[in-house]
Amino acid sequence: MSDNPDEKTPRWRLDFPIRWDDDNYVTRRELAKFLTLGSALLVAATGAVSIWGRNARPAQYPRRRVAEIAAVPLGGTLLFRYPTDADPCILLRLSSGRLVAYSQVCTHLSCAVVHEPGSGELFCPCHHGAFDAVDGLPTAGPPTRRLPRIRLEEQGGSVYAVAVEV
Amino acid sequence: METRGQGLPLFTGICFLLGTLLVVQLWLLAAALEAARSDVPHVLLPATVASLVLFLVNAGLLSYVIDFDRRLRRQQEGGDG
Repeated sequence: MSDNPDEKTPRWRLDFPIRWDDDNYVTRRELAKFLTLGSALLVAATGAVSIWGRNARPAQYPRRRVAEIAAVPLGGTLLFRYPTDADPCILLRLSSGRLVAYSQVCTHLSCAVVHEPGSGELFCPCHHGAFDAVDGLPTAGPPTRRLPRIRLEEQGGSVYAVAVEV
Repeated sequence: METRGQGLPLFTGICFLLGTLLVVQLWLLAAALEAARSDVPHVLLPATVASLVLFLVNAGLLSYVIDFDRRLRRQQEGGDG
């Protein structure tokens, strides 16, 4: 007989070192470790997003002429694209005479919203969402976030889009 | 063996709690991403602090599981010997 413990230990025990009655301990400990590691990764990711969010510079938007002010009658609308040609927007003249503009992309699932004359709302035909035309806040249906507002400036009889407020 | 029999539901509960806290952390990460993209910086710090607190709770629970296992095993080894 040799004194070397490795020679006494059968090969199968080297391959399966966990005793059957210890199995539950290992399983739950490993699961708890795995979940805590995931938790640490999520803290790190949230921290990284926070740092990125605080240090991100505000986006620079171009100043772009949208239309003649007189081209939009009371209660009327005009479609335009801002800040790029891939971003559809809608310009409205409210019954008070004030001009407002919003992104035309519904914040629910990105369908195009349309103005409902007389209702004072922007309506999304896909899932019957509705937004208040005065402030862009959702008033009905599945959307929970307001429409991005386009900041406007009036100058020399024209209206200009100057920024997007998310 | 009786101790282990009582311990199993307890640890199942702890693992369930760990998983639930992890889901809350995922939600916090989603909220932080949304806030960062929407230029709402005042949400970011509370989300990070809340996520850190949940991580500390998770680490505490893990430490409890490991410590409990260690004590139980030592007790059983003492009983066997």
